[in-house]
Amino acid sequence: MIFGLAVLLAGEAFFGYRLHQLSARQEAIKADHAEVNNITYGLLSVEQWQDEVAQIVNQQVRHLTLTKKQKRLLQSEVEEILYALIDKAEKMVDKKPTSLGGKIRKLIVKTFVKADKIRAQVPSFARSIIAKADNPDQKAKLSDLAMSKFTEVQQSKTVDSTLKANHALFNAMYHKYGVDDTPTLNHKLDKLLSQIRVDMYQYCFLMLGCVVVVLALWWLLRKRVDLHATLFILSLLFAFILLAVGLSASMIEVDCRIQTLDFTVLGQHVTFKDQVLFYESKSILGVVEVLVKQPAADSIGVGILILCFSILFPVMKLSSTGIHLLSRKQIAENRIIKYFAFQSGKWSMADVIVIAILMTYIGLNGLLDKQLALLNIHSQDLTLITTNNTALQPGYIIFISFVLYGLILSTILKYITPNDAH
Amino acid sequence: MKYTFINIILLLGLTALLGGAAFSGSRLAALSAERESIKEDYSLANSVTFGLFSVDQWRDRVSDVINHQINGFHITKAQRKALQVAIEKEMHSLVSKTVAEINQPQKSIGGKLKKLAFNALVDADELHAQVRPFAKTIVAKISSPESEKKLKTIAGSKINQLTAQIYDSTRVANYTVTQYVYKKYHVNNPISFNQQINERLAVIEHAKFQLIWVMLGCVVAALLLWLSLRKQVQLQTPLFIFALLFAFVLLATGSLVPVIEVDARISSLDLALMDGTVQFRNQVLFYQSKSILGIVHTLISQSKPDAIAVGSLIMLFVIILPLLRLIAKGIYVLSKRKIARSPVVKYLTFELGKWDMADVMIVGILMTYIGLNGILKSQLSNLNIHTESLNVITSNGTSLQPGYFIFAGYVVFSWLLSYVLKKVSPHDKF
Repeated sequence: MIFGLAVLLAGEAFFGYRLHQLSARQEAIKADHAEVNNITYGLLSVEQWQDEVAQIVNQQVRHLTLTKKQKRLLQSEVEEILYALIDKAEKMVDKKPTSLGGKIRKLIVKTFVKADKIRAQVPSFARSIIAKADNPDQKAKLSDLAMSKFTEVQQSKTVDSTLKANHALFNAMYHKYGVDDTPTLNHKLDKLLSQIRVDMYQYCFLMLGCVVVVLALWWLLRKRVDLHATLFILSLLFAFILLAVGLSASMIEVDCRIQTLDFTVLGQHVTFKDQVLFYESKSILGVVEVLVKQPAADSIGVGILILCFSILFPVMKLSSTGIHLLSRKQIAENRIIKYFAFQSGKWSMADVIVIAILMTYIGLNGLLDKQLALLNIHSQDLTLITTNNTALQPGYIIFISFVLYGLILSTILKYITPNDAH
Repeated sequence: MKYTFINIILLLGLTALLGGAAFSGSRLAALSAERESIKEDYSLANSVTFGLFSVDQWRDRVSDVINHQINGFHITKAQRKALQVAIEKEMHSLVSKTVAEINQPQKSIGGKLKKLAFNALVDADELHAQVRPFAKTIVAKISSPESEKKLKTIAGSKINQLTAQIYDSTRVANYTVTQYVYKKYHVNNPISFNQQINERLAVIEHAKFQLIWVMLGCVVAALLLWLSLRKQVQLQTPLFIFALLFAFVLLATGSLVPVIEVDARISSLDLALMDGTVQFRNQVLFYQSKSILGIVHTLISQSKPDAIAVGSLIMLFVIILPLLRLIAKGIYVLSKRKIARSPVVKYLTFELGKWDMADVMIVGILMTYIGLNGILKSQLSNLNIHTESLNVITSNGTSLQPGYFIFAGYVVFSWLLSYVLKKVSPHDKF
């Protein structure tokens, strides 16, 4: 029996180790995935906007058209200026010349130039002036000018260096996964992730299977009092493995993204999809780290409390159960040992509850989606912040199993202990 | 039986207290539900999706600023001078060019004649001297009020033409949402909507605190009564049953009323743009308010098996087991020795404490609240920006709700009950 249990224990340890490895690998891949789809390389990236802006400049300047009304207004404006100029010229000519040359000039001008005739031509002049400004060649010239200014900005040093850094990062990423563009990379990462996910759950269930086998053994051997002590110590080892894996594997991942950003700017349709604002994958120790790093004292207190409930209490509990069972009566009936052996188990559940509540508040917020759906609004075209990809991870399941297993073990202990349990 | 009369009065008094607690509990649940629905509607109507994240909103605000600029546009003296200089320069070069063209060596007789006539009649210097008055005329003409008005009309219509080409898909959704909330609250503009929401919330807030006090007051009064009657052995059983009923009311109310509310918003964003400002007010990033049952419901209604498992565990340990323990205690006190000593009832009454996690839940919720509050606060304070042109103020309205205090009341009360039961239990324990 001991040999069988040892094999089972080794199996459990192996599955736990694999689960831990896979969880670390998944975390790394997810982080890469989030990095590639991060908002800084999408919505907030100069590169993404370059093409759009180039199109816009081109279209707006080259195809700048004045409506009929605008043309009419502009025409009347130009006409008025021309009339004013003609009036001015007439007045100057009409001024009494003093010199002989001036007199002759006035005479000639009066004879040859008919002010009324010129006035009649003003509208056609004005039209040709506007046409000149409005002709395609002129616009093409302007648009070229604008484009050259634009490329100048584009090639300025700061923009250039960020682009270079981005390209380096993406190339490293492509190289790492053996692909050569972002869509294939995303596709490949998705496939890898779903594969790892399946594997992880397999190992997770194998581990739980081992624990169930151990509990079944207890049921089978409930009459064999002589074996109980050995069986109990081995069961404690199983509990330690569960605890270690539960603490180190990732428990929760938070993924916050802008689902869609879809709009039309100056005739150019711009769409951004799945822009990752924030991605974190945390084990319970990671959560403690985040809390302890907050500036406020109360958050640090909570971090320490979680640490107590997740490490200190369980370790104390498991050791106390062992001590209670094995050592002499005097030590076994020590109040602290007894408290930890029998009563402390449920406080580890506080961590489970904290993560569960966090999950319902930040992870499963279908609030806006749900309300929009009630009003028959399709939310896929709206700019929503979603955290729908937030999920619980196998580490969490292992940790819950540990807590429940620990509670069951202390119940078993109560029945088999030679000492007083109360 | 001289106690009978007192007994009846006592029982009536306790019933009245219980009724008071139950009534205020149900009112509290109803009020909390109303408050939640109002806040949800408010968050929907003021969501960033229809504000800060909507291109339509930005377009409207920016084009307002630009139109304002255009309308307020006026050619200043300095600009006039600059314009005049520019026009003069242009005209001088035009004159020089024309003179140079005519003075080119001419081949045809017509050309030669023209040159002769031009040189006889026109003096280039004189032409140059006349540039100034002509330029003045042009500038005066352009900066005249009518002409300015015309130019503004042209620029304004051009801007409108451009803004018509900027849009996103929020318009229909925004309209539907606005119509829905306006109809629900019988208002017709955002200002009266916000005002009404605030008024209603203030009323609810006031009533809520009154109800909590009434409820806890009833429970405390019942406890005091019990304490003063602790010597009357024959009254212990009915008193204990009443205590159990009080505990049940507390448990039911505590699990139905929201425990934590999270409300993160950008309370104001001001962007200085060409002497105008683009303003956004009260943009709700995130709102969530849940009771313990709501948390369980959310977890269980997921499609993910792990979430369902966790939801069922919380349901079992935090709601069903405490309920079972209350019932078992009732059976233990009320029924005959034989049933009361049956192992199932005894196990439920005395041994189940380890699995009953209502107290763990209280600690867990408090930890979640503090942790969530701290994380949100530091994340939001990263968004606070104060520069000359951009001013962003965020606010974090995370708070514990009445459900938490009532549930905590239940936990304390149930500790007391377990303690008392060990003392007064009519049957020996083991």
